[in-house]
Amino acid sequence: MSVYEVNYLCRELLRDKAFREAMRTDPAAALAGRDLTAEEREALLAGDVGKLYRMGVNAFLMGYLPRFQACGLTLETYNERMRAEAGRTPELAGAH
Amino acid sequence: MAEVVAAFGVPHTPFYPALVKREGPQSETAQFYARLKADLVRLRPDVIVEFSTDHLNTFFFESLPIFAMGVADSFQGPIDEPPEVPLYDVPSRPDFAAHLRAACVAEGFDVALSQKFAVDHSFIVPLHMLVPEMSVPVIPVFVSGHVPPLPSARRCFELGRTIGEAVASWPENLRVVMMGSGSFSLDVFGPLMAPGRSDGVPDPAWAERICALMEDGSADTLLEEATPARFAKAGNVSGEVLNWIAMLGAVGGRPASYLLPQLAQGHAYGLWEGR
Repeated sequence: MSVYEVNYLCRELLRDKAFREAMRTDPAAALAGRDLTAEEREALLAGDVGKLYRMGVNAFLMGYLPRFQACGLTLETYNERMRAEAGRTPELAGAH
Repeated sequence: MAEVVAAFGVPHTPFYPALVKREGPQSETAQFYARLKADLVRLRPDVIVEFSTDHLNTFFFESLPIFAMGVADSFQGPIDEPPEVPLYDVPSRPDFAAHLRAACVAEGFDVALSQKFAVDHSFIVPLHMLVPEMSVPVIPVFVSGHVPPLPSARRCFELGRTIGEAVASWPENLRVVMMGSGSFSLDVFGPLMAPGRSDGVPDPAWAERICALMEDGSADTLLEEATPARFAKAGNVSGEVLNWIAMLGAVGGRPASYLLPQLAQGHAYGLWEGR
């Protein structure tokens, strides 16, 4: 399980300004060396925060994605996709 | 002998320092903080014991304590860059903190030890608004309030009670203020945020209920109602009320001296004074 890695790199956006910039301009390259499952990488590059949420990624940490315009996310797209998860239970609830 | 002279409840919303700077001293938020600040100055604390919830900055998923206490000469923060808040060096009291932690462990609370750490806005924003000169030593108590499973409300209340009682067994004359920080209903970047925003207050009725229970000293009812199911409806950071509940435990759950609700924001400001 590498949900940890997704959480970690979300927080890394706050701390590593070079990574932040890379995630805004060329996210595929920025994520190339990261220990992610294919599903996680795909969801990140698609900005599919709803799926990541269902996989157990922390929503507060994912907020750094639109805050720093990573993976093409804006507050508007992030907000729509995350609000669509209201009422659903993360598949890994309790595991994260 | 050390004594708990008062307890404060306060939000730590990261954009409030910038909001207060922008809107000026007449804004509601500025007025509420100013009232608490005047009381804090009047109460002349020697030490502040602050309960708050780290936002995965001090601790991360390598190891996430349910409870932890900072035992250090000083610590820095905020490390998550809330606007208009400088990086502070906050003095602490490691001898007194070690005493409080030892009392917790003796009473069955497995409080983790942290001797070198930095904190985020959750601890610093209240201090920035209330004691910006950082002249009072602060002992941080980290309470897990965001990442389920959370500690129970009763457990947090009893932790606070244990710390409050341990204050009285410290021989030095110290005026100790308890501080609990956080929101009652708030969702940040989660599914319950408001349309078009980065946050939302999905359950203002719960915030109002908490205020009513704290105002009339109905701590037992609060402990019964502050359940994981309620937190799930009240937003992904609504477990921060556990910091208020721990603070409340330290003053025996008595009624607030005053409470200033800010229900649209899902939180309040409050003071508990006297015995």
